[in-house]
Amino acid sequence: MSSAISVRHLTKDFRIGIRGLKLRAVDDLSLEIPRGQVYGLLGPNGCGKSTTLKIVLGLVSATAGEISILGHPSATSAARRRTGFLPEAPYFHKFLTGRELVRYCAQLSGVAADSVGAAVEDALGLAAMTEAADRPIGTYSKGMLQRIGFAQAVVHDPELVILDEPTAGVDPVGSAAIGRMIHTMRDKGKTIVLCSHLLGQVEQVCDRVAIMDRGKLVLEGAVDDVLARRDRHVMTVEAMTPAARDAAEAALAAHGAKVTSVTHPRRSLEDLFRELVTGSRDA
Amino acid sequence: MPNMKASLQRTLWISRVTFLEAVRQRFFAFLLVLSAAMVLSSVSFRVFDFGHGELKFIADFGFGGMFFFGSVLAVVMTAQLFFSEMDNKTALTLLAKPLSRTEFLLGKFCGAWAVLGVFVIVLASLLGLVLWAREAELIALAEQSGKIPATFSAAGLAEFVLLQWLRLGVVTAIVLAISALARTFLFAVVVGSLAVVAGQLQWIAQDAVLKPSDSLLYEGFLWVSCRLIPNLQQFNIGDALVLGSAGVAPGAVAEVALSGLLYVTAYLCVGSLVFRRREI
Amino acid sequence: MRRFSPWIFAFVFIAGAGVYAETSWRSVRPSIPEIGRKDLEPTLGQGVLLGVLGGLRTVVADLTWIRSYVLWEQRDRAGCEALMRAACALDPYSRYFWEHTGYVVGYDLAHWEIRRRGGYGKVPAEVQERLFKGYALRGVDIFEEGLSRSKVTTPLLLCAAQLAEIKLKDHKLAARYYQKAAEAPDAPWYAARICSQVMWDDGRQLEAYRWFRAYWTSRMLPKEDGFPDDLRQLRMMEGVLRLSPEDRIPRPSWEK
Repeated sequence: MSSAISVRHLTKDFRIGIRGLKLRAVDDLSLEIPRGQVYGLLGPNGCGKSTTLKIVLGLVSATAGEISILGHPSATSAARRRTGFLPEAPYFHKFLTGRELVRYCAQLSGVAADSVGAAVEDALGLAAMTEAADRPIGTYSKGMLQRIGFAQAVVHDPELVILDEPTAGVDPVGSAAIGRMIHTMRDKGKTIVLCSHLLGQVEQVCDRVAIMDRGKLVLEGAVDDVLARRDRHVMTVEAMTPAARDAAEAALAAHGAKVTSVTHPRRSLEDLFRELVTGSRDA
Repeated sequence: MPNMKASLQRTLWISRVTFLEAVRQRFFAFLLVLSAAMVLSSVSFRVFDFGHGELKFIADFGFGGMFFFGSVLAVVMTAQLFFSEMDNKTALTLLAKPLSRTEFLLGKFCGAWAVLGVFVIVLASLLGLVLWAREAELIALAEQSGKIPATFSAAGLAEFVLLQWLRLGVVTAIVLAISALARTFLFAVVVGSLAVVAGQLQWIAQDAVLKPSDSLLYEGFLWVSCRLIPNLQQFNIGDALVLGSAGVAPGAVAEVALSGLLYVTAYLCVGSLVFRRREI
Repeated sequence: MRRFSPWIFAFVFIAGAGVYAETSWRSVRPSIPEIGRKDLEPTLGQGVLLGVLGGLRTVVADLTWIRSYVLWEQRDRAGCEALMRAACALDPYSRYFWEHTGYVVGYDLAHWEIRRRGGYGKVPAEVQERLFKGYALRGVDIFEEGLSRSKVTTPLLLCAAQLAEIKLKDHKLAARYYQKAAEAPDAPWYAARICSQVMWDDGRQLEAYRWFRAYWTSRMLPKEDGFPDDLRQLRMMEGVLRLSPEDRIPRPSWEK
């Protein structure tokens, strides 16, 4: 089976100014994104990740290289029909209601007329936007905009969903909701490509990651593989007394192991925030 | 065929949302109210008239409103509708779907043209109403004095509305082609406005072509001007159609209408080609 | 080549639309007589362009006319004439514009020119006469142009006749205009009498009498009171021409 996205030797140069100075945004990038996984594309601002996604979607032309989506050449109608996209900081026509927007996108995506209604309701349900679906988009909060953007991206049941900074500017509760949507999609066997520079979130939701810097790929692999330090271990111990600690250190030393640090485990601030304000959904 | 149908449907959806977006704009409402006020006020301004035919004076307000405000609307609104999609990045969302750029541009055109159709029809209906009311008064006065009353042609007004709508369609297609190339809204509006003025004055070159000249360079310039710049003046035969000030050759309206449709198609082709190369 | 073929196609399409527009333009060109007038060229930069572009021609013509009157008060010959001619070109169907432009050019401009040259005391009489005639000829030309473009012709014929009679002192020309005016369906009652008088003054006494008699008999006698003042004029002519009683107009019952 072909990869969800296959990028081979992709290069993109932008011409700047009247003299046409060349700025290389993507430099000989090769990537294989497998199907059925959540794939994180990471990197600092301006590293070329959004440009790469735009080239994949056919919104920007490549200077060199080949790209295919689900076995089809990118930028073709067949490839786009099976792809959903949520752009960074999405903006939609304010006068449409959420339901009208999702219906409009379903129709543009080629959903059959007799199944548009069900597809729209499914997508709204997945994005937890059913209750607010009849309000004009102009009244939505930032988190709701992201969620309705997610709904329009998945309304035609695509095999591949590309999310560009889906949680930028969204509070942790909204971020968690989007994380849940991503997991739901993965559970349905979809491939999700997540482009973000919020490392904590990527770590939580992604199966694989690629890190880009200055247009080049610097690291690629499964999250567990790239983050794990095989020469270090962490044990979490309950009710440890000083005597127990001394005994444990002595026992480890007898086997040539050395305890380098002992600390109390910490919750992340994000976990604490979500625990405290849980249920305060911004609908 | 199913592909064609699906393509038409997508175009229709884009044009529907474009239409809804445009009619909600305050700019449209402002120009429509201003033009309508201009037509209605023409009756009061008759006292400032210097002996023109009275119906002509009233009709001129309507023609002027359609020409001037219609052109402003066609240029500014079309550029605004295009650049709002680009600047707000809604185009990113739409063009990532199985929607071709030609369908997107065509949808924008149809939506904007439909709004201009509403503008022209509302204005022409008001003008027709004012002309009809005044014509009735003039006929009554003429019967008393035994003179031949001035009249207007409602059918001619309908033909004129069609021609004005086509003229605004040509302007819309040009502005979309310019917008597809332009990086900023301001550039599109300025160049679009200049294109309208050039189009209105193109007949000077077309008249000059008919006269012989010794200069090859001059003839070459005229040839290019006549072929590339649309002749927008040919749509302005309101006086002849509505008031019968001059004769209109049989079939002339159909010829002008066909010319307008050819221009619209040609400029949309150029716009589509330019837009296909644009990086969103 | 394949890369450029859509562009070549688009260029050919636009050029084709341009070629077809020549045909459609030829068909509608006679329906837009207001544009393409040389008279508009000097004033295009003064707001007249809007009228040329399309729509609002009447309004722009009115505004142009009002501005021409400001220049009339300042006795600016060139500016006033240019703006008045522009108003005529913008709305060639307006009798008012043609009438007043002809009057101003034919009667006023010569006086302004004489004043500019130092006044009536300084400018020799023959130069004054030449100026009067020169401007009067231009005035008559304006009336002629108005006659060919405006729908209302009789008043313009009378204006041209009056100018030819008073300023050009060309009685033949004046009589020709009066005659045309008198023969028009909407001729005013005085046109025929003045026409005969001008012909008479031109030395064509018998011709004047015959024409006026035929006119009175066919168009005046059957109407209202039979126009006794005009009959009185005819009787005066008969007296001067010493016509025999049988050659004279038979006496109507109402004649005193």
